[in-house]
Amino acid sequence: MAAAESPSAALRRRDLCSRGIRLAGKMRADVVDLLDAYVEQQGLDASASVAAVEGVPLAAVERWDEQTGTQRLLENLAAYRAFRALLAQMLEEQREQLGEADAGLGRALAAVLLQVSAFVYHLEELLRLESRGIPGEEGDGPPPPPRLSLFEQKLRGLGVLRELAQWAVRSVRDLRQLAKPSAATSAASGTAPGLAESP
Amino acid sequence: MFSRWNWVACGFSLVLSICSPDASGGLVQSCGHIIPESPVLALGSNFTALCILNESCLDFGNIYASQIIWKIKNRVVPKEQYREINRTVSSVTFNDTSSLATPLTCNILADGQIEQNIYGITVTVGLAPEKPKNLSCIVHQVSRFTYVMTCTWNPGRHTFLDTQFRLRYSWPGEIFPDCIPKDVNNSCSVTDIQFFVNTEIWVEATNALGKAESDPLVVDPIDIVKPLSPQNVSVSSGVLPTVLKLSWENWISGPVMTLKFNIRYRIVGDTNWMEVPSEDTASPRTSFSVQGLRPYTEYVFSIRCMKEDGVGYWSDWSEEKTGITTEDQPSKGPPIWRIIDKSHSPACWIVHLIWKALKPFEANGVILQYEVTVRDKSSLSAPVKKYNVTSTNHTLQLREGTYEVTLIARNSVGASPPSVLLIPASNSKAPVKNLRTLPKQDKLWVGWTAPNSYVLKYVIEWCLVSSSSDCIIEWQIALGDVQGIELKGIKPFKCYLITVYPLYADGQGSGQSVKAYLKQDRPSKGPTVQTKKVGKAEAVLTWNHLTVEEQNGFIRNYTILYKTIDGNETVVTVDPSKTEYTLSSLTSDTLYTVRMMASTDSGSRTGPDFTFTTQKFGKGEIEAIVVPVCLAFLLIVLLGVLFCFNKRDLIKKHIWPIVPDPSKSNIAQWSPQVPAKHNFNSKDQMYPEGSFTDVSVVEIEADDKKSFSEQDLKPFDLLKKEKTTSEGHSSGIGGSSCMSSPRQSVSDSDEGETTQNTSSTVQYSTVVLNGYRDQTPVQVFSRSESTQPLLDSEERPEDHAGGADSPAQRQQYFRQNGGQDEINTDRPCFERTKQITHANEGDLVGFVQLQISGQSSQPLGLGMEKNTQEAALSNVLQTCTEGQTVRPETVEENPLSVDEMPKCYLPQTVRQGGYMPQ
Repeated sequence: MAAAESPSAALRRRDLCSRGIRLAGKMRADVVDLLDAYVEQQGLDASASVAAVEGVPLAAVERWDEQTGTQRLLENLAAYRAFRALLAQMLEEQREQLGEADAGLGRALAAVLLQVSAFVYHLEELLRLESRGIPGEEGDGPPPPPRLSLFEQKLRGLGVLRELAQWAVRSVRDLRQLAKPSAATSAASGTAPGLAESP
Repeated sequence: MFSRWNWVACGFSLVLSICSPDASGGLVQSCGHIIPESPVLALGSNFTALCILNESCLDFGNIYASQIIWKIKNRVVPKEQYREINRTVSSVTFNDTSSLATPLTCNILADGQIEQNIYGITVTVGLAPEKPKNLSCIVHQVSRFTYVMTCTWNPGRHTFLDTQFRLRYSWPGEIFPDCIPKDVNNSCSVTDIQFFVNTEIWVEATNALGKAESDPLVVDPIDIVKPLSPQNVSVSSGVLPTVLKLSWENWISGPVMTLKFNIRYRIVGDTNWMEVPSEDTASPRTSFSVQGLRPYTEYVFSIRCMKEDGVGYWSDWSEEKTGITTEDQPSKGPPIWRIIDKSHSPACWIVHLIWKALKPFEANGVILQYEVTVRDKSSLSAPVKKYNVTSTNHTLQLREGTYEVTLIARNSVGASPPSVLLIPASNSKAPVKNLRTLPKQDKLWVGWTAPNSYVLKYVIEWCLVSSSSDCIIEWQIALGDVQGIELKGIKPFKCYLITVYPLYADGQGSGQSVKAYLKQDRPSKGPTVQTKKVGKAEAVLTWNHLTVEEQNGFIRNYTILYKTIDGNETVVTVDPSKTEYTLSSLTSDTLYTVRMMASTDSGSRTGPDFTFTTQKFGKGEIEAIVVPVCLAFLLIVLLGVLFCFNKRDLIKKHIWPIVPDPSKSNIAQWSPQVPAKHNFNSKDQMYPEGSFTDVSVVEIEADDKKSFSEQDLKPFDLLKKEKTTSEGHSSGIGGSSCMSSPRQSVSDSDEGETTQNTSSTVQYSTVVLNGYRDQTPVQVFSRSESTQPLLDSEERPEDHAGGADSPAQRQQYFRQNGGQDEINTDRPCFERTKQITHANEGDLVGFVQLQISGQSSQPLGLGMEKNTQEAALSNVLQTCTEGQTVRPETVEENPLSVDEMPKCYLPQTVRQGGYMPQ
């Protein structure tokens, strides 16, 4: 696979990784800033513990270094697709709650949402370069969330942003791993089972 | 005419429309329409329109397609472009839409003559949009989190149609809202920018004739960012005097963009920027220490940034910030020089030490003081003298000798290296050669040829030459390896004296001087010329040199221009060192105008005019004329004197005749007898008492008045007047010598004027002795003291002797009548007198004539009676009587002669025993 990879494809891959890394880094920084604004604006405690958000894979994973590249890409893709849906829901809830009263928070949420979408595009492009099919979004999307109270919505939003911040850090590490020349080989050799396992 | 037909057509059309049987849904229904309806056509394309008539109109108005006329505006389209498709449809074709105009109307000729409008359309002609080109985008950072992407493109040609441009951008999986430009068609700004994703950007142009898209621009917006420049820039000085630390804040966070920087700096007051090497600031940072700066110098800093990889745009330069480096010890000693004043005493100098303040980059701080050390090199035992000075000069009194002066500048950090100056006893070393100057723009270049010996450095002195103040010396030191220097601060049109001294290791050479101008101008005034001396053909002109302030340059020559009033101007060029010039070959006694012009390399200026007149005579000419004339005059005078001296007797006889001494006269021996009584009747009546002195008259006759000056004649005129007013005098004196009555003689005086004009009479006194009442009179002699010339006969008794018949006759009266007296002696008194008068007209002018008249005739007669020659006397008396009787008019002449006598000759009372002076 690696041998079959053309120089332009390798260059493209490296470029996508590089951009993905920088995008993930910016996304993390923006999410951190957004978290502060969100906590303050929603009247939450920054130290409040939030249960895991349903439908979002946890960033923390055991034996992370043993994952193949494709596996990393697929996990990232699934996570960010989930974040995209959750952030879109948050943005809609935000508009419903505050209207145009706090346009700044809404713009920040929209910006993060856009970055998540961009990162999803990066991941999909990388998967294409791996000559792997891109899993459909239908099955990957989280189940429709149950109707929650306003406070629960705020807490869920806090949980989404915290997890997104975690995933941004992991994504940087994953893409750096993928950017390494040796990683391409391992990713290629190791992704087959992963892909086979994926739905 | 055409418009009238139009009105008719309109009216007909209205009738057609209203009367149309198919009219439903409205009052007006058209009888036809055009296809296509209001088309938009491409410029240059062909176009065909159809006019379709309604069937109902065919029946009602009997109109068919063959009657259709197409018009563009009011212009009928040529029928060659028509085509009748059927009885209700007519088409028109245009091969080029550029000939089309709005409106395009379909008309019909009703009843063969009346033109009726059926329908009209608006035709729009334009162009399809071109493909937008040169699309480019830049992302401006507006604030910390806000970025605006502005894209510009070339919209292409003008389409003449309403064309919409829109900027579109998308990710592969996401389409973003279009950016529609406002008010422009070549740029649009997008605020919703996401970095790190390749975005496809393109421009779409659309109008009624089509749509065009630009080539897509695929770019990650992060690669086209122009970031904001760093903010809060600050400058701080460090420990080292050559380092300043620059700190700032970045607007862009690291996750978004890592930056590299560009730092520039300059010294305050300088315009040239220096830059920190870019490789030193190619990594992200928020501070940088700039090294290699000058101590105690104020610098200005500015910084900019861009994405670290160099993809994108540099930010603008940040605001400028200043900082000052710390002090350091002076880097060099001050340049020092001296001025030695030996005027007071050759053995004791007054030495003015002068030095220049160090330049800021040399002083490296604030100079607190200067330390001057003077060591007498001629005496090792002499103590070293030290002075602390805060100014840049110091004056010493030194004995003549050789000294070493050391100067140190000190600031708060330390002292400078010493500057050493040798003051020798004399400037005995070799001077520079070939000293010259050359203006270079606003600087004066001074060049020289170095001496053969090694020169440590040169001292260049210069000062502004002034006639009113002393030369204030400025100076500069040049290194020994240069042979020229540019002097700054030199004013144009001013004379500078420049002196160059070579300084050797063991002394100094003598100075070489040159005068120079940075720029020359013509003199500010011309010389004032005047004459020192003016001669007949030459004039010496003098003038004063212009002052150095007036010269404005080197005076190359003077030009003298002189001319006469109507003559050509003559030009003479004079050496500028002269102040005097002699003009020669001038015309005598001529007015000259002279002026003088001073010339520099840049022009000339003429002074005021001066006029002078050359002399008529040259030097010595007057003397040459006067002296000979005087000598000749003297010679003539001398000759005249000699001549007079030789002829003195003759002259004396004419001018100062000898008056005969009466005492020596023969009458002295004559004793008069008692005179005949009957002759003195009248006399007795006038002078009844005592003796009476008779009056004799000397008559001077002249030929005409021309022989006398008017002055001489005045007395005669005066006498005439007196005679008319004082009859008594004349009657008493004159009387007619021929016994005429006194009245007659007076009254006739005017009539005898003609006679008076040719003769004059001067009265001499005659002594007449009368006895009183028949008594024998005392013999008295009366003598005239008059200086008037007497009768010639008296002066020359020999003539009388020759001419008279007897000596007794000569004693009767004194008479001077030349030679004619002798002739006329025997003639009657009247005739003789007349003859004398005529004779004197020629050659006896001025001579006096003694005439006996009036009362004097009686003594004369008495005398003659007493004379022994009575017969002769009686003859005379008879003749006189006869003459009076026969020719009375001639007698009247005698009183006239008496009247003309000057007053001084008026008769006076005779004193006894003396003469009667006159």
